[in-house]
Amino acid sequence: MSDKHLSSQFDADLNSLSSRLLEMGGLVESQISTAMRAFTQMDVDTCNIVIENEKLVNDLEIQIDLACTELIARRQPTARDLRLVMAVSKAITNLERAGDEAERVAKRTKRLVESGAPHNINVAEIRLSGQMAINLLRRSLDAFARLDTIAAAEVVAEDRQIDEEFRGFVRKLITYMSEDPHMISTGLDMLTIAKAIERIGDHAKNIAEFVIYVAKGADVRHIPHDDLVREANKP
Amino acid sequence: MNNTSNIDQGIFAKRKRANKIGLTLSMGAMLLGMIFLLWILSVLLFKGLSAIDLNLFTHSTPAPGSEGGGLANAIVGSLLLVGTCTFISTPIGVLAGLYLSEYGDRSRVAAVTRFVTDIMLSAPSIVIGLFVYAFVVAQARHFSGWAGTIALALIAIPVVVRTTENMLRLVPGSLREAAYALGTPKWKVAFKITLRAAQSGVMTGILLALARVSGETAPLLFTALNNQFFSTNMNAPMANLPVVIFQFAMSPYDNWVELAWGGALLITFAVLGLNILARVVFREKVQA
Amino acid sequence: MMSNMKTMFDLNKIDSQGGKVETTNQQSEQAAINALEVRNLNFYYGSFQGLKDINLDIEQGKVTAFIGPSGCGKSTLLRTLNRMYDLYPGQRAEGEINFYGQNILEPNQDLNLLRSRIGMVFQKPTPFPMSIYENIAFGVRLYERLSRSEMDERVEWALNKAALWNEAKDKLSQSGLSLSGGQQQRLCIARGVAVKPSVILLDEPTSALDPISTGKIEELINELKHEYTIAIVTHNMQQAARVSDYTAYMYLGSLVEYGKTDEIFIKPQRKETEDYITGRFG
Repeated sequence: MSDKHLSSQFDADLNSLSSRLLEMGGLVESQISTAMRAFTQMDVDTCNIVIENEKLVNDLEIQIDLACTELIARRQPTARDLRLVMAVSKAITNLERAGDEAERVAKRTKRLVESGAPHNINVAEIRLSGQMAINLLRRSLDAFARLDTIAAAEVVAEDRQIDEEFRGFVRKLITYMSEDPHMISTGLDMLTIAKAIERIGDHAKNIAEFVIYVAKGADVRHIPHDDLVREANKP
Repeated sequence: MNNTSNIDQGIFAKRKRANKIGLTLSMGAMLLGMIFLLWILSVLLFKGLSAIDLNLFTHSTPAPGSEGGGLANAIVGSLLLVGTCTFISTPIGVLAGLYLSEYGDRSRVAAVTRFVTDIMLSAPSIVIGLFVYAFVVAQARHFSGWAGTIALALIAIPVVVRTTENMLRLVPGSLREAAYALGTPKWKVAFKITLRAAQSGVMTGILLALARVSGETAPLLFTALNNQFFSTNMNAPMANLPVVIFQFAMSPYDNWVELAWGGALLITFAVLGLNILARVVFREKVQA
Repeated sequence: MMSNMKTMFDLNKIDSQGGKVETTNQQSEQAAINALEVRNLNFYYGSFQGLKDINLDIEQGKVTAFIGPSGCGKSTLLRTLNRMYDLYPGQRAEGEINFYGQNILEPNQDLNLLRSRIGMVFQKPTPFPMSIYENIAFGVRLYERLSRSEMDERVEWALNKAALWNEAKDKLSQSGLSLSGGQQQRLCIARGVAVKPSVILLDEPTSALDPISTGKIEELINELKHEYTIAIVTHNMQQAARVSDYTAYMYLGSLVEYGKTDEIFIKPQRKETEDYITGRFG
C-alpha cells in the first residue's frame, strides 16, 4: 500500500499544488473576514485593505493554474492524480470568485459609508450568514486537504442554510424599502452585499463537490442531494 | 575540475603495455602463418608455372618415358568426380542439416545423427577410402569413378550438414515465428523462409566442402584409382589430379615431375579460388 | 484425415473479412459481439504457472489493450490467442478460448488455419528475406489462389492499409530488408492484414521504433479497428490510453481489472490498477 510515486518530484509537485490551493484558500478566508469586519464596523480603511489585497488573490490563481498546466504537460497524470489536478484547477476559480465577492462587499460598504445615507437596518442576518460563509469555506478547504467526503457532503448540505438566510433577508429588505423609499438606495447596497455572501457559500459548496470527485471519482455537481450523499459515503 | 583525476596512472601504463604485447604477439602469429602460406604459393608458382601451357589442358597424361603430355584427363576426371560428388552431397547434406536444425531439437535420432556427423568429420579420409573399397570396389571387382564419388561424398556430406545446421540456427527465431503467425505450415517455414534466410551461409558451406574434397587423395587411391587415358566413363577407373600428382611427383621422369607441380598449382589455386568465392558470396549477402 | 480435422468454420461461408458476423456501420450498442472469449484459462511453462484463471472478452471491432509490469503475463496471454505457444514443447494451456464460439484450445484444432484467421505482429520487425511484393504475397498464397493482377491488387491494398504504399510502390521488387525500421514494421502489418484475418494481435509493435513511426502505427491501428478486432500488448500506458477502447491490467499472471479505457484511466476500480497507472509502486 504505497502512496508514493516512483518519481519523488511528481509527488512533490502534486503536494505543492494542494498546499498552494490551501494557501490561496486561507488568503481568501481572511479577505472575507476582513470584509465582514469592515461592514460590521462601517470602516473605510478596512475596506481599502480588502480592495488592495484582491490583487494577491488574482495572482495566486494565475500561478496555480500555470502549475496545473505544467504538471499535465510533464506528467500526463491519470486516475486520481488527474482528478486532483482538474479539481485544483477548478477550485482556484471558485476561490478567486469568492475573493471577488469579498472585494464587492468591501466596495459596497465603502460606498455606503461615503454616501452618508442612513443605514440603520438591522443587519444581523448579514453578519450571521457572513460567519456561516467563512465557516463553510474553511470546512470545505479542510475537507479538500483530508479528502474527507463525509465532511464535504455536510458542507454541501449546509450551504442551503445560507440560501435560507439570504431569502429571509431579501423579504426584510423589501419590507423596509416599501415602507420608506429613502431607504431604497441603502437597501440595494445591502442586497448586493447579502448576495455576495450567498455566492461565497455557493463557491464553498462547489469546492466540497470537487472533494467528492477527487476521492470517489463521481461528478456530483447538479445531482440530487441524496445521490450526492450516497456517492460520498461509498467505500 | 580535472576530468581524469581518478585515473590511476600506474594501472593505465600497465594496460597500455599489455595491449602492446598482445598486439605484437598476434601480429607475429599472423605473419608466421602468412609467411608459410606465401612460401608454399611461391614455391608452387616457381615450380609449376613452367608447366602451365595449352598442352596441359589438351593432352592427357603421358606414358612412362614418353615426352610432353598434359593433365587433360586428370582435370576432366577431377571435375567429374567433384561435380557428381556435389550433386549427391548437396541435397543430402542440406536436407540433413535442415532436419537437424528445424525438426530435430529433442529427438534421439537427431542427437545420434549429430554425433555420427561429428565423427565422420574427423574420420581419416584413408579409412573412408578403404571402406568404400571394401563395399563397392571389391563387390564390383573393379575400380570406378562412382566409387570415387561415393568416397568423396562421404567426406563432403558431414561438412555440409554441419555448416547448414549452424547457419540455419543463426536465423533468429522471431523470423520463424512471424512465418508461423501467418499460418505457414512447418515445412514451408523451413524451406521458404529459414533456408532462404540462411542461403548464403549454406552456399558457403557447400563451397567449403567442395574445396575440401578437391584435394583429397587417399580415398581416391582405393576407389577411382587412376586412368592413363582420357575417359569420362564413371564405371571405370577415373583419372584425377591428386592421384596423378602422387604418382608423378616421386617418379624419375622429368616431365612427370613437372606435370606434378603443374597439377599441384592448379589444385591449390582452385581451392584458394573457391575459398575466396565463398567469402565474397557470404559477405555480399550479409550486407544486403 | 481431413474429415477429422476441425476447421475454423466452413471456409465457404466466410466473407472476405473472414469469420465475422454481419455488422452494420452504425454504432449499435445492443449487440456487442465478442470475437474471443477466454474462460478459465490457465497457462504453464513447465511447472511454472504463467496465467491464473483468466476470464476475459475481446469485443469485435474494438481495440483491447493489455498492460502490466514485466512478467505479468500479458504477452503470454496474447500468444495463447493464436496458439503460438504450441511451437514450444513444455508450454501448455488449459481452459477455453472461444473464437466466435469455437474453442481453439481443442487438440484437433488446425493451427495453421487458426493463425490465418488470427494474425500477429511482433515487437521486432521481421521482413522475410524476399522482395516487398513477395513478403505480402507469401501469406496470401498460402490459402488463396489469385491471378497475377488480383495479387497485384491485394498487395497494393495491403500496403495502402498499412500506409506504406506511397513509400513502397516504386520499389516493390527490392528486398524487404532495404526499408527503415518503422517501414519494416508497417510491412509486417501489411503482411498480416493482406490475408484478411478477423483478429490482429500486436505484441508491443512500437517498442523498437522512434516516436514518429510509433505515431504512424497508432494512427494505423485507429483506422484498422473499423474492420478488424485488435488486441495489443504494450508496456507504454499512454499508448494504451491513446489507442484502445478496452484495457486489461494484469499482474503476476492474474487479470486484476478489465474495463473501458476511459474508466480505467480516470476512475479505476481497483487500487492495484490505480497504483500501476499513476506510477506508484509499493
